[in-house]
Amino acid sequence: MSTPATGGFPKRENMFEREPARRVFAGELREIREQFRDGTDEKSPSYVLLPTGQRCNRVFLVGSMTEKKRQGEQNMFYRARIVDPTGTFFVVAGSYQPEAMQQMARIEPPAFVAVVGKPSMYETPDGTVLVSIRAESITIVDREIRDCWVLDTAKATLDRLDNPTPSPDSVHATEKYHIDPVAYRKMVYHALSQLKF
Amino acid sequence: MDISQIVDRISQKIESKGHAADKSKIEQKLRRLIEEFGVQPADAERTVLYDIARDYGIPLGGAAGPGDQKQINSVSPEEWVTIEGKVVALGNSPSPSIAYSGIIADASGAIRFVVWSKASVPEIKKDSWYRFESAVVDEFKGALSLKVHSGTTVKELEGDGVLIPVITPVAELAAGVASVHVKMIQEWDVTHDRMLQSGLLGDETGTVKFVTWKEEGKERLTPGCVYNIYYALVDEFNGRHSLNMNTANIVAEDGDIAVTSGATTFQGALVHIAPGSGLIKRCTAEGCNRVLSRQNYCPVHEMQPKFNYDLRIKGWLDDGTRTEEVLVQREVVESLTGMTLDESKELAENNPLGMDEVFLRMREKILGRYLRCEGREIDRRLIVNSCECIHFEPTLLAELLNRTGGEVS
Repeated sequence: MSTPATGGFPKRENMFEREPARRVFAGELREIREQFRDGTDEKSPSYVLLPTGQRCNRVFLVGSMTEKKRQGEQNMFYRARIVDPTGTFFVVAGSYQPEAMQQMARIEPPAFVAVVGKPSMYETPDGTVLVSIRAESITIVDREIRDCWVLDTAKATLDRLDNPTPSPDSVHATEKYHIDPVAYRKMVYHALSQLKF
Repeated sequence: MDISQIVDRISQKIESKGHAADKSKIEQKLRRLIEEFGVQPADAERTVLYDIARDYGIPLGGAAGPGDQKQINSVSPEEWVTIEGKVVALGNSPSPSIAYSGIIADASGAIRFVVWSKASVPEIKKDSWYRFESAVVDEFKGALSLKVHSGTTVKELEGDGVLIPVITPVAELAAGVASVHVKMIQEWDVTHDRMLQSGLLGDETGTVKFVTWKEEGKERLTPGCVYNIYYALVDEFNGRHSLNMNTANIVAEDGDIAVTSGATTFQGALVHIAPGSGLIKRCTAEGCNRVLSRQNYCPVHEMQPKFNYDLRIKGWLDDGTRTEEVLVQREVVESLTGMTLDESKELAENNPLGMDEVFLRMREKILGRYLRCEGREIDRRLIVNSCECIHFEPTLLAELLNRTGGEVS
């Protein structure tokens, strides 16, 4: 499935690279306004552009599931709200993600959950932008893992803010978003300050 | 010798000095000398080159034709060079068009060489010193070699014979020829009739595979012993090196080397567990051990009614910037999931979902967890020997709080 061919004569240069799962706080993810594809192929990966200046095809997040809803009749899917110290992630799992859907079916909120999924952005006719995450997997975890994730995500966010070498993505983000780095640092501080020593 | 090759060579030399080279004129001059006057191609080349150089006022110096005299470790591909060195290995000629193939070394390093049958050279003997004037440096699969052709002059030198080989740390091996100081750490099964021995050698910096092919006078290495291996061929395949010992001089030595474990560590979140994880069945055919499909089908030995159960986890560990494929072995799976092989077998046998039940339970226990894995990386996959969960670190929290610049930054 998603594992590259090994043994034999693998073409190392063209070997499939799995997209890393970025660590993003809900407070940053909800600010996304830019979505693009790398290439014109139908199968080329789709990215959202993080305001802190990095493309993102996949996220890993840990938070508390506060609400779960079953929706749709024939094309049934689950919609869940998962909160972190900075806001809410909207996570969906439908019939195209049978694994995640079955995992989601067994989870009763409130619960700490770890989610791997793909972010995407929708614009409603009235101009409201919605950012949601299509789950690839979702598992119940404990508080300590949530705390580890907050540290991990704080570090990743600061790394992106402090990145000294401009990349095409960071240049793109600077043009697209006019972020206030100080506000982002405050968000990170706020998230960290909710953890106990 | 093909005249057009000589033409190319001369025009390259002229162009490298910043002048335009008229190929047809060069060819005309060469043909005239070779075809009409019966001049040897090498002499014709020199004559024409000197003529043109004089016309342009290019100072070629005394040894201009043959290329600069170089240290062996400083030559680069497609260069014309003159080197002086000692023939440290001489192999059987693999083809009638090749008179000699071997390795020549100087104080800076060693390089493979091939002498074409067309080249007129004196007899080449192992352990004698020679001057190869105007040989061409060639590259194949990243390894450099010297081609001694009909335009090369080979002279035997009055050598003193003393040459101290340059020892290369295993981690710095590159395709070509190298000498290493290593301990033999593993002996592997031979996979070919012609193979005498294969296994793993290591020093403080890394490990490398070696092969000795069956040949008269070749001896096996003894596991656990330390050797100086002079002038082995280093081959590269898929970014990994291996030593071919057949050209090498091997000297056993007393003492020991603290061989590196070659371990790498990677930490991150386990973001995916691939199918084929959990409880698996392995083929029992000798030396096979492949994973059987659900229907007990081995890709090589077909249906296998008998099999051995095993545990493993194939997954992806992700640190947010990089994703590494991990393969976790049974002992580590047992300690990580708290499910032993026996318990897993029992679970699979008494549950309607069978082996899937083991997969699902393991997934619930470890997917989405932060892990620190240690192991050896083979073919971009980390074979995990030990693994632990990462715990919350208050010191990291303090460090990050400081980095944010505080509440009002």
